[in-house]
Amino acid sequence: MVSTRSLSIGPGSLSYTDLPWIIQHREDRCTLCGHCTAVCPKEAIYLAYRRQRMPKLDILSKKRNNEYRTFVGIRQKKNMENSCIGCSMCSMVCPNEAIEPVPNTNENRTLFFNNQKGEPAKRGGRRNEVGPTLLDRIMFNRISMLTDPALDAGRHEFHITTTLGRTLDPEVFLKRTRDGGWIPPTREIFPFVIGSMSFGALSPNMWLGLLQGVAYCNEVLGIPVVMCTGEGGCPPWVLKSPYLKYIILQIASGYFGWDEIIRAIPDMQCDPAAIEIKYGQGAKPGDGGLLMWFKVSQLIARLRGVPEGVDLPSPPVHQTLYSIEESVMKMIQTLSTAFGHKVPIYPKISASTSAKSVLNNLVRNPYAGGLLIDGIDGGTGAAYNVSMDATGHPIASNVRECYLDLVKQGKQNEIPIFAAGGIGKNGNVTQNGLALIMLGASGVHIGKYIMQAAAGCLGNEKNRCNVCNVGICPKGITSQNPKLYRRLDPDQVAERVAHIFMSISTEMKKIMAPLGRSQSLPVGMSDALGIADKDAADRLNIKYVC
Amino acid sequence: MSATVVKGLDENGRRISSMEFETMVQAAAQKNNVLQIEAMGQHNLGIRLQHEDGLSISVSGPTGQRLGCMGMPGTVITCRGAASDDVGYLNIGAEITVLGDATNGVCNAMANGKVYIAGSIGARGLTMTKWNPDFEKPELWVLGSTGDSFAEFNCGGIAVVCGIDAKTPGNVLGYRPCVGMVGGTIYFRGATDDSYARNNARLAAPTDDQWKWLKENIPVYLVKISREELESSLLIRDEWQVLNTISPQERALLFSGPMPMAEFRNKHWNHAFGGGDPLRDLAPGLDRSPIESVPSGDMRRKKPFWANRESAAPCTYYCPVHIPTVDRLRLIREGKINEAYEMLLEFTPLPASVCGAVCPNLCMDNCSRQGVDTPIEVQVLGRAVGTAASPDVAPSIEKKVAIIGGGPAGINAAWQLAHAGIEAHIFEKDTFIGGKLAQVVPWERLSQAIWDQEIKRFLDTPNIHVNLGVELTQEIFNTLKNDFDYVIIAVGTHEPRKIPFPGHETVLPALDFLKKAKSPNPEKVGKEVVIIGAGNVGCDVACEAYRLGAEKVTLVDIQKPLAFGKEKEAAEALGAQFRWPVVTSKVTPDGLVMDNGDVIPAQTVIISIGDVPNLQFLPDSVETLTVGGAAWMKTNEAHLTTDAKVLAIGDVEKPGLATDALGAGKTAAEYIIAQFKDEEWKPFAKEVIPQQALTIAHYTPDNSPDSSQENSADRCLSCASCRDCHLCETICPEGAISRRDLDFSHGNGYKADHGITYEYVSDDNKCIACGFCVDTCPCGIWSMSPF
Repeated sequence: MVSTRSLSIGPGSLSYTDLPWIIQHREDRCTLCGHCTAVCPKEAIYLAYRRQRMPKLDILSKKRNNEYRTFVGIRQKKNMENSCIGCSMCSMVCPNEAIEPVPNTNENRTLFFNNQKGEPAKRGGRRNEVGPTLLDRIMFNRISMLTDPALDAGRHEFHITTTLGRTLDPEVFLKRTRDGGWIPPTREIFPFVIGSMSFGALSPNMWLGLLQGVAYCNEVLGIPVVMCTGEGGCPPWVLKSPYLKYIILQIASGYFGWDEIIRAIPDMQCDPAAIEIKYGQGAKPGDGGLLMWFKVSQLIARLRGVPEGVDLPSPPVHQTLYSIEESVMKMIQTLSTAFGHKVPIYPKISASTSAKSVLNNLVRNPYAGGLLIDGIDGGTGAAYNVSMDATGHPIASNVRECYLDLVKQGKQNEIPIFAAGGIGKNGNVTQNGLALIMLGASGVHIGKYIMQAAAGCLGNEKNRCNVCNVGICPKGITSQNPKLYRRLDPDQVAERVAHIFMSISTEMKKIMAPLGRSQSLPVGMSDALGIADKDAADRLNIKYVC
Repeated sequence: MSATVVKGLDENGRRISSMEFETMVQAAAQKNNVLQIEAMGQHNLGIRLQHEDGLSISVSGPTGQRLGCMGMPGTVITCRGAASDDVGYLNIGAEITVLGDATNGVCNAMANGKVYIAGSIGARGLTMTKWNPDFEKPELWVLGSTGDSFAEFNCGGIAVVCGIDAKTPGNVLGYRPCVGMVGGTIYFRGATDDSYARNNARLAAPTDDQWKWLKENIPVYLVKISREELESSLLIRDEWQVLNTISPQERALLFSGPMPMAEFRNKHWNHAFGGGDPLRDLAPGLDRSPIESVPSGDMRRKKPFWANRESAAPCTYYCPVHIPTVDRLRLIREGKINEAYEMLLEFTPLPASVCGAVCPNLCMDNCSRQGVDTPIEVQVLGRAVGTAASPDVAPSIEKKVAIIGGGPAGINAAWQLAHAGIEAHIFEKDTFIGGKLAQVVPWERLSQAIWDQEIKRFLDTPNIHVNLGVELTQEIFNTLKNDFDYVIIAVGTHEPRKIPFPGHETVLPALDFLKKAKSPNPEKVGKEVVIIGAGNVGCDVACEAYRLGAEKVTLVDIQKPLAFGKEKEAAEALGAQFRWPVVTSKVTPDGLVMDNGDVIPAQTVIISIGDVPNLQFLPDSVETLTVGGAAWMKTNEAHLTTDAKVLAIGDVEKPGLATDALGAGKTAAEYIIAQFKDEEWKPFAKEVIPQQALTIAHYTPDNSPDSSQENSADRCLSCASCRDCHLCETICPEGAISRRDLDFSHGNGYKADHGITYEYVSDDNKCIACGFCVDTCPCGIWSMSPF
């Protein structure tokens, strides 16, 4: 006989083949060391005992009976709360290659049940769209060989920095220089900026590891990398350190940590690289920031000036801002004044069909130091799935449109556009970045790529891991639990940051040299671009090649 | 033999083309190994020239590009003046001397041979050289300075740059020398702009061997360029520096950046924050140092707890008396049969009558063993205790409690109080105790022998005093309240409910019928009997009716009959029919008339729709609750009424099972005992253990288990109660779990809980929180919790 209790099946009952990730466990290899179950962030797997009936069907003998065999193996739980996220930490700690999650190729029925208790699904991470992006498909195909001076990435010297901040029209510049007028502040920075990820969205070890890497790039390697704080404030000791000059401070509608920033102003040894005013985020435009309560630890609460363990939304609208003219003017002027008009101030908006309006407003604002546009492929620490999946605008055509608009006005050399959102999503960070630069961006911001490349973030476009929102990051990148974030060694993160930027700078030269460019970033050099997609070529006003 | 002269101008003074000139030179070299070339800008002079005795070529006049191009070993070329681009291009062994300056590209791709320049050279000298280990390394000697991009991708070339009369005296090696250099050595003398490629070359003073080589070769070079007078000024060791190649092996050892990250952290990073962690003000004492991904100790996210007996087994939880059947079976497993019996008697005085007979056994309904095969047979266990002796009673504490009503509720209250050393006085209206168990439950279902045995055990217990035939009034009640410390009302429900349809006066109440049926002189019934109300009592009525002569019994109800279990099975076995929905409009001598006019023929109609309490004796201080037209006792969790000296238990609170009454009696007694002892009273508050917490796969199904106590004890899954099987100790991959005896010797720490004298512990320093103990434990004792 077998169990007399049958399993009850309800509307939400799931089987293995309904789960997004299926744990494959090889009992013949497993040594039952317990590391996989100990490390699993979701408590998705457990040691299962199974009883197997082995009937003895001997027709001629009286020895007919049932024998039972009990065996053990690692199995996964089938409830939503504990369903495997495919992070593969189990595989990483397994000494015998006995376990791994594999993506379910069947349809994933958990999608119909991820709205438990009336709360729609949220996640951290990315948009989950596999395959090459438009940026991946852009080729650089105007090669200087014998026709004009050929350059060698290995031996020629390159100037690969970009200008952050307002560049005055030459006549105005000369006049102001002569008359002692105000010259807007600018920074020469590396065109790949570590995009805004807050102290809070990231763990202390990750955030400080990135900053340590940035400091190393600047001070040891001479690569002028800057990073943006995101909207979570900045530790006071960092504000008062010489590294502040490598930091773009972000201000947004939540104003988290700004009291500490203002308090530190008299003690600052140097000015910040810039101030970013966040109005929108590409991953979830119009939906505001969100730090879920899981991550509001004592430390985060202290820095942000909030109670522990509460959800921290930064609403999609600033309470004191009403119209575009007024918003932009008021915010930029306040922040420019706060730092004695010596720090570039620029807004960050979500890519949108309304981006051009914002840009044109900035063109007329003498204090605006640039515009950052964040596209739909941008990442986030936490958002509703529906916002991440369905809301937003791809970055390429948005930046292109804005740039060509500046060209029409003859202002393309005056106000820089920075682009973000999916750069390096499939690993091609330099190619993606330079494609955007040649479409008209003065530089790009990278976030997910940095998390993946510098800290080994496990997320991918198949919804692997992507649990940044709930603070259980198995690599310690986005967790505020010291038991998790201490898994991450800040020195190793910093070392990877150094490797990444050394490598990007080499790859930039490898792209620029064949184009015959070495002395200035090829901003808007769209004659070098081609794509084997007629519609995209037409939309971007670049060559169609095949 | 004198030199053969080859002229670059023809007899008309016109320049001969490079192509034609090369043929002329080749022809001359066939005949003579000493050539004198008067060049007029011809290119590639010296190409494809070799002579077995060696060739000596002197060049005068303006040379073209690539002098000494692809020069062969044994060929010596001396250019009398300055030379154009690419001197020694792809040279594989010729010795080339230029007695003036040379322009760009000197020695490009040269693999062997020597090039001596008496002046300075242009850009990209000594680039892309080669070194074949079967030959000597190529050498370039420059008296003055080099142009920019010197020695790019130099692979084997040795250069000596003397810095004498340099074209660029401030920077004798030009801008950014040595980019991509993977081999060779650059000796130089004089100032540079220090722009050499740091990843490829390392600046040093000459070693002794290098200096020895220089000292030997400088005079040779000076002879070649006829500047012997410079020897003393060039042989000052301190003025020489060397750019040595960084070998691939050395480079592999370098961090890709020029400074190890740990050094950066210690020397720069920490200093930037005043010499400490940048978070020390926000989070004093925060330790951010790296840990392993599978740590033991404090860095585990969870840890295991041996939560023995912290939850309740389903048998214990669902039993209204909360009898811990798991403990009884554990004691049996341990061979402690008497202790097992005694423990059961601590919970109930009627195990054989109730657990073993009348109880529907909610314990078995919820038994976890059903996940394996069939539930533990609790009735067998209950009956086994029928003849066991009562546990000893505690010494008297000089308190007394009046219990009104001697039904199961009152009996258990008295039993519990008596064992705690409290006088329990039962006041019973009837002539015998037992309430409805004795009055109405048919002897078929509750054997008289068992009942009498258990009642005898009860009555023989010290501290129990029974007064029979007491009709209660308000005066008597008040007297009891004054004379006793507490009064417990356990009068049950003895007023049958009736419905005033026409003919109701001819209808027998079930309660009266059953009481009479069980008396020595029961009433006869008609051949056809209808029972209104098809609950379990109705089923008992049906059985008794058949016993008393009925041939056809019909149970009717206005809703689906609520009867279940043994009662229903017994009635159906005798042939009772159930009909519903049936609404009675009247009862006539013919039988029951339904509202649709149908008649169910009957000579006897019995109504069994429940009984209500009779609370006439209650004083005003005790509040009641009216439900369904009847007054019921209003009590709290401890069965206390609104009068702090009066408690109420059993059906008088609300109708229930005999087991509910037993449970209420026990709880009320415990409350009173706690008050007397001035202890805090706590209700049963354990949560039931979830089925998933158990690991039932350790057990083998048994198709037809024998129902002996011993076998039941082995079959018991011991939910929430450790069965001391050591499986957790065995499965733990880290060897963290061990069993240890509890130490009771000090009398201050542990207290033996139902004879548990051991515990299992997990060593925090070994445990990695894999949860295998939790997943393995058959009883669901281990649990993992964050800490």
